[in-house]
Amino acid sequence: MMVKTYDAIIIGGGVVGSAIARELSRYQLDIAVLEKENDVCCATSGHNSGVLHAGYNNRPGSKMARLCVAGNAGFDQVAAELDIPFRRTGKLVIGFDGDDLRQLKRLKQQGQDNGCRGLCIVGRDRIKELIPDVQGEYALYSPNTGVLDPFQLTIGLAENAHHNGVRYLFGQQVTAIRRQEGLYHIQTTRGWFVSRWVINSAGLYSDRIANMLGVEGYQINPCRGEYFILDQRIGYLLPLPAYPVPNEHSGGLGIHLTPTVDGNIMIGPSADYIDQRDDYAVTRPVMDMLLEEGSRIFPLLRREHFIRNFAGIRPKLTGPGCGGFHDFVIECAPQAPNTVNLIGIESPGLTASTPIAREVVQLIGERERLEEKCDFDPLRRRPPRLRELSVDEQQQMIRENPDYGQVICRCELISKAEVMAAINNPLGVRTMTGIKYRCRSMMGRCQGGYCQTRIAEMLLEKQGGAYDQLLYHHDGSNLFYGRVR
Amino acid sequence: MGGGPAGLAAAVQLKKSGVDNILVIEREKHLGGILRQCIHDGFGLTRFGESLSGPEYAQRFIDEADRYGVESVADSTVIDIAPDKTVIAASRHGLSIYEAQAVILTMGCRERTRGALSIPGSRPAGIYTAGVAQSYINIKNLMIGKRIIILGSGDIGMIMARRLTLEGGQVLGVFEIQPYPSGLPRNIQQCLNDYDIPLYLNRTVSDVHGKSRLEGVTVSQVDEKLQPIPGSEQFYACDTLILSVGLIPENELSRKAGVRLDLRTKGGIVDENFQTSTPGIFAAGNVLHVHDLVDFVSLEAERLAAGVVRYLHQELPACDIEIQPQGLTHTIPQLISGNRDVELFFRVTRPVSQAVVELWQGDKKLTAKRLPKAIPAEMMHITLPASELINKLPVKAVVVNA
Amino acid sequence: MHKQITCILCPNGCEIQCEYVDGAILSVQGNKCNKGQVYFQQELTDPRRSIASLVKVNGGELPLVSVRVTAPIPREMIFPVVAEIKKQELDAPVHLGQIVIANVLGLGCDVIATKNVSIG
Repeated sequence: MMVKTYDAIIIGGGVVGSAIARELSRYQLDIAVLEKENDVCCATSGHNSGVLHAGYNNRPGSKMARLCVAGNAGFDQVAAELDIPFRRTGKLVIGFDGDDLRQLKRLKQQGQDNGCRGLCIVGRDRIKELIPDVQGEYALYSPNTGVLDPFQLTIGLAENAHHNGVRYLFGQQVTAIRRQEGLYHIQTTRGWFVSRWVINSAGLYSDRIANMLGVEGYQINPCRGEYFILDQRIGYLLPLPAYPVPNEHSGGLGIHLTPTVDGNIMIGPSADYIDQRDDYAVTRPVMDMLLEEGSRIFPLLRREHFIRNFAGIRPKLTGPGCGGFHDFVIECAPQAPNTVNLIGIESPGLTASTPIAREVVQLIGERERLEEKCDFDPLRRRPPRLRELSVDEQQQMIRENPDYGQVICRCELISKAEVMAAINNPLGVRTMTGIKYRCRSMMGRCQGGYCQTRIAEMLLEKQGGAYDQLLYHHDGSNLFYGRVR
Repeated sequence: MGGGPAGLAAAVQLKKSGVDNILVIEREKHLGGILRQCIHDGFGLTRFGESLSGPEYAQRFIDEADRYGVESVADSTVIDIAPDKTVIAASRHGLSIYEAQAVILTMGCRERTRGALSIPGSRPAGIYTAGVAQSYINIKNLMIGKRIIILGSGDIGMIMARRLTLEGGQVLGVFEIQPYPSGLPRNIQQCLNDYDIPLYLNRTVSDVHGKSRLEGVTVSQVDEKLQPIPGSEQFYACDTLILSVGLIPENELSRKAGVRLDLRTKGGIVDENFQTSTPGIFAAGNVLHVHDLVDFVSLEAERLAAGVVRYLHQELPACDIEIQPQGLTHTIPQLISGNRDVELFFRVTRPVSQAVVELWQGDKKLTAKRLPKAIPAEMMHITLPASELINKLPVKAVVVNA
Repeated sequence: MHKQITCILCPNGCEIQCEYVDGAILSVQGNKCNKGQVYFQQELTDPRRSIASLVKVNGGELPLVSVRVTAPIPREMIFPVVAEIKKQELDAPVHLGQIVIANVLGLGCDVIATKNVSIG
């Protein structure tokens, strides 16, 4: 049997891997993405603040700074092409005293050095104008910061890449890589693949993939950040992100407040180095701390406003106790020809995803001739959302497709049509969480209390009724043990 | 809005009172509400003198609604309601916009979630609220687990303990955070003791383990502030965690109609006619306050119907005498007119015995009722005699030791 | 023998301490009335329970119909009765009140459907 030789295999289908897949799919290449989980945004890409950073927080001259600023500038186009929920809200970094003001001015200067536009220092009145319910004496106002839906961005990039010919393969954890006669032979838990190029965008495991390629010396240190999500009902309290000035004396990062593009508020993240790279547990001490901080900043907050918590894990190249800074690693190592290794892509990786991808394309383009496709289609559309339509539009929508009139998720007002579109997604993802990421059902305050059973039923029907195949998220996360009768 | 026991009882009573132009909007395919999945018996003991299952109790009212020609529309979800009582419902046939003189809110409640409890730990599959588990098993024919731990000794948790056991599951225990059970004694006997399922008080789940599917939970003892006591942790290997940790009246639509909510009940603030703060909008059943006996839900809805009839005839007096509870979680109603006797419904905040509930206005005791034994799980009532009221000052409803 | 029972006949929920031998009650302590006497006697000698369960439906709008026994059955017969119920299968339509098993295991009561299920 002839084994297909790909031009490029991308290991890791997160936001960076999928951005790379999309950029490469502009060219006449056979590309596959090997993703170890059952969906594209399962790790860092699906557990973050969803912020489009402006770039003033990054060290001047670094890749992080350059690619973040570029990503920020180019995002209107990406969001428009891929139909990504996005709001350029602006952001305030808030301080209280002279020390803070000095810090803010340094941040502003750093931002300007990095090419950020529009940064300015504002006072109490302007802070009150922008966020009436938050205290502060001085702030750095960044007009270009925004909030976006990180699931939709990753899924959008992946679906568009797929639409342009990229093959997505799930449940494929890479276990070994061998170079033989100028080609890479990649062994996974489900099979093996052959490719001319290997692009390592494996996030939390990028150091291990690098090792398999003979590129040693990198160590990923997982650093967990926990968040609280607050009910949309009080979302009005926070129209734009508000972070405290990084306080050098207290050493902490302070508590960040971020609105989501759907109108929830996120409190967090914390920062704790952990041992396991897949330990997404939320912990009591951090939750208590976030609760206390949140209540202090918003005295109006009540227990019932906290609807969920979650954790993300940063793939840091810096370790505990040594502090410091480590730039993105995006390199073609000489000992591993025809590879690009992306290691340590933590924040601002989400913002920088498309510029990072273009950097990768450039690195490949320096080593071989890339032929553009004439039929690359940059556009990807989500189905219309019932909750975003006017009454007349809703009426029209239901007339055309009665599935729009059947409400499945009461909390977020999501129709059967949207759930069916999510179930029939082009990448073939069939987990409950995958459906959740795609249509937002189960993200509301009842956390699936009403819609979960209905979605499970619809998924089961799609999969021919086999109860044992319905997964919640990871392999082995079966929901059901059998039929009752 | 809502064709469960409250909505149906209100509709039937309205028809009996000569109100004809009624519509019940129900989001499911069938009327009956949550009763359709409550297959156990114990419903209707007061109402019908029989011990019926949930679906049978619902069918009694569905049949009566049919007999009286109550109009209903199923598979329709109300998506908006305005203070002027315009209601918009969505169905496969399109949007329907209704204008009403009166709107009756009977949407029931939702369950408190793990996220709302902030239970630490990982997020594997296998964690279900009790109602969701009940729906999977009794309606969708799907078995959700084998080795089960239940957090919360509310009625629904105990009912599910029995249900799971009868379907071949192994329920390792029910854990309750309070020093007393949350549900009715009958359920402790017939759902736990009968099957040797242990009930542990002063406990909570303090950690969850498992990456893909639940592998176990850590249970801690709690102190008098309900906080986990370090060092008291115990690990239980299990594949399923059922949460029965509270019901929350589903008032998202009520808010849209401008209805003011009571922070204690999470339901509307109503007067003796069950009218909310928005004129012409009424509420009864679980959407108003969580009930433990559906028989009381039907009674409440019928009282509401009487209130609606008075409203339609413009016979509603101002209700500006406030009821202030002490030692009680709440009272329904919260406001009265003082023109007639009112039945006040309440729950005690903690179990009491040899106690008395007293109604006071200023220095005057209006009435009292002995409570030989009262638990939070059981809704109780006391009649407020209008003739005893001396002015429009608030009435205090207090629980005192005898 | 000694047994503690919570009486469930009224909200008082008296905690009763019973001394009994061979099914005859020797003493009862903790009760506030005598209504519970019959209940205790039954509980000690022949405890009975109502049981609800589910039966598979073929060709119906729902996969299952809820059922229950028409009278309380001996507690030790709960699992055998459930086992009998599990063996049943019904074809839609199913009517509320329809007898699914008559005189189940000779106990003198039936198993009836408690819900209507139309053809799906």
